[in-house]
Amino acid sequence: MTKKNITPGDMARQNGQLADLDQSKFLPLPPPYDKLELEPKIKPLTAEQKERYECSLDGVSAVMIPKPKSEEEKKVLVDKFLSGLKKLFNREDNWTFLQALVLTMEYCAKCQTCSNACPIYQQTGGMEIYRPTYRSEIMRRLYKKYVKPGGRFLSALSGDNIDVNWEMIARLIELTYRCTLCRRCAQTCPIGADNGLVTHELRKLFSQEMGITVKQLHEVGSVQHIQKGSSTGMTPAGFTDNVEFMEDEVKERTGMDFKWPVDKAGADVLLIHNAGEFLAWPENPEAFAIILEAAGISYTLSSDLIGYDGVNYGLWYDDVQLARVALKHIETAKKLGVKKIVIGECGHSHKALTVIADRILTGDYNIPRESSFTLLNEIVKSGRLKLDKSRNEEFYVTLHDPCNVVRLMGIVEPQREILRAVAPRFREMEPHGVHNYCCGGGSGFAIMPNTNFPDWRHTVAGRAKMKQILDVYQDVIGPEYKKYVCAPCSNCKGQIRELFNAYGVFERCNILYGGLVELIVNAMTDIKEPFLTWEWH
Amino acid sequence: MSVLQLLIYLSIVVLAIGIIYRALKISRMPVHLRWDLYPIPHEKGKEHYGGSYFEEINWWTKPMKFSLVSEVKEMSKEIFLIQSLYRNNRPLWFFSFPFHVGLYFLIMYAFLLLLGAVLEIAGITIAAASGNVIPQLIYVLTMVFCFLGSVLGAFGAIGLFFSRLFKKDLRTFSTHSDYFNLLLLTALFVSCFAVWLAADRSGDVLRSFIGQLMLFKPASPVPSAVALQLILTAIFFIYLPFTHMTHFVGKYFTYHKVRWEDHPNIRGGKIEKAVVEALGYRLNWSAPHIKAGSTWAEAATDLDSLKKGEKK
Repeated sequence: MTKKNITPGDMARQNGQLADLDQSKFLPLPPPYDKLELEPKIKPLTAEQKERYECSLDGVSAVMIPKPKSEEEKKVLVDKFLSGLKKLFNREDNWTFLQALVLTMEYCAKCQTCSNACPIYQQTGGMEIYRPTYRSEIMRRLYKKYVKPGGRFLSALSGDNIDVNWEMIARLIELTYRCTLCRRCAQTCPIGADNGLVTHELRKLFSQEMGITVKQLHEVGSVQHIQKGSSTGMTPAGFTDNVEFMEDEVKERTGMDFKWPVDKAGADVLLIHNAGEFLAWPENPEAFAIILEAAGISYTLSSDLIGYDGVNYGLWYDDVQLARVALKHIETAKKLGVKKIVIGECGHSHKALTVIADRILTGDYNIPRESSFTLLNEIVKSGRLKLDKSRNEEFYVTLHDPCNVVRLMGIVEPQREILRAVAPRFREMEPHGVHNYCCGGGSGFAIMPNTNFPDWRHTVAGRAKMKQILDVYQDVIGPEYKKYVCAPCSNCKGQIRELFNAYGVFERCNILYGGLVELIVNAMTDIKEPFLTWEWH
Repeated sequence: MSVLQLLIYLSIVVLAIGIIYRALKISRMPVHLRWDLYPIPHEKGKEHYGGSYFEEINWWTKPMKFSLVSEVKEMSKEIFLIQSLYRNNRPLWFFSFPFHVGLYFLIMYAFLLLLGAVLEIAGITIAAASGNVIPQLIYVLTMVFCFLGSVLGAFGAIGLFFSRLFKKDLRTFSTHSDYFNLLLLTALFVSCFAVWLAADRSGDVLRSFIGQLMLFKPASPVPSAVALQLILTAIFFIYLPFTHMTHFVGKYFTYHKVRWEDHPNIRGGKIEKAVVEALGYRLNWSAPHIKAGSTWAEAATDLDSLKKGEKK
């Protein structure tokens, strides 16, 4: 049975599920989804899944943590957790985020100002376990008790004592995958504490010390990326085949017959896409190729292992994996002798390589990195492309701000300047820019398909974004009006695709999603046929 | 020397050492990876919408446009008006704002008492009828700041205490120490008000006491309300460095060294030097894909450990 008033101490409860997901209490969506029966349901776990995996947090299993077989095994896991906890606060083991983490641990005033900024807490009607401070307060109490000198005595004295057992750790692992790391909470904190960082650091503890993480992030994510060349499993030979396919497709769709520059030593720019684009949305790299070719930009793609896939899943769960992938990206650029790396429409690879990896790159590894949004904006402003914005007049356009690029890097205006130049019916969601809502697929969620987690992602994590999209188009919500969500980020696109699929948004409301470059190419007068095909994919 | 004097000396020493220790401990932590969060107010010309230098083509070839004025303006709004709370948690702001303003006013009150004591040692009388405008101003403002500070502070502290006690979201996360902190501060504010009301409204007793402290002379007896005020102040000073109430120290770092810290790593620069040092640290994480005992630089290039991780 779940308890009504859940406290941090309840995480260590031996039996039962901590919280129930009651969809009737979630905040309502705007029409036409204002009826609960139109919403996808969160399927309960099967008896077999419940038997195999830890799922006593909220009845959802994102990580598929196997249940320990004995008390001894539990004890080993608890000991590992505690040793990892100490390492998070050790300067050598965790120099990467030590200062920021200690500040958040020491100075939170527990004012709960951050709670209403969290779309997950907000949209579930205020589920206590999803409150940004709930996770942080547990970690803070553990830090005070097990890391600080005299902690056991002082914790008992100050009244923030907490027990640690396997049940708590298992719930905490799942709970770190109920936050998208969007950091809206941190924006509102009067002290500057950062609950998103706490999620990040806990995920690191589980990965770097206990070897526990989501398979799609690690084994078939960053490990596969390093070993095979891409987290999609695409090998260098597969990449080359894809480029040939896309060259043919561009010729077929636009009549433009040109060879894509691959491994061109001495080019000015190394363009790195998220390899998911080649497989799921080839029109995106195709549009990039058309624009850069038409603008006469000296650039190249790389067919080197890792060099053709800009993702870096380590950003979400493991500093060592982050560093390994980032260094390989830089080595690719060094080998080609380019002047700069430009990152395609992928939010987290923007942040990983430009901002986070900035402080692991020294000497000649410090090659400049830049967003494709700024380069594209420069091209559009320069007049090198012949554009006619009326070619995009047939549909309305709104812009989704990927958190990693906008709130976490401050790249706000270039993509808007482009849209103002090519999309006459551009309108903003509210809130937008640095105060946007995450798509719900952030921090790896978009690629996590385990058990009933996708249901949770559609109905909880993506709910605020779903609401924003419906709100911005309320006056033209009927299927007779064409509407487009420009989401210049692969992970966001993946999440919006899944979200729209789950709710049947394309069929019911005629809202399509896609990238930014597709809109630019659609406005290019040199291309006779519309580049954008109004088809669901 | 009286016990009261010794207690005050001790509390000042503990407070100073405690605050300096906290600040040094944080500032000496190693360089961290960037974790900036926008809007950043010093991004000149872009601060109003949260933009950054990353919006510029070839940004590394252009000088960073840093607006100190915008940063100071934002900091001032945060410190003096408690802006984040006003925007995002208005019900709590109605107590937090007077609470903080009360504290600032009492700091001014203490400063004016100190200034008055120094002037009196120099032979200048602090009184309403001193005939000189500066001592007169100090005399009046001391009373004003004591009254306003204690009333506003007590109102805020009591309001915060009851908010914590009765609001479920606050109560769930509040510990004994959170309540104790507010009660201690309430007692301090009330004692200041009691002194203003009944014992030393003009500040003459305290100016004299502070003067004797400064000259290391035995203190004259003080009324019991003043003694209580001094004891509570000493307890607060001794206790403060051990609590999260030192967030005035932490806040400098959370804002300036994390949230607004957007300096790029430049080849041959200070950041690079610190990064090189950090990459030499040895890590001891136990997961199979990491080789414990290697340096960060080695771990980042050691791809063989991934095979070890696979086998597990």
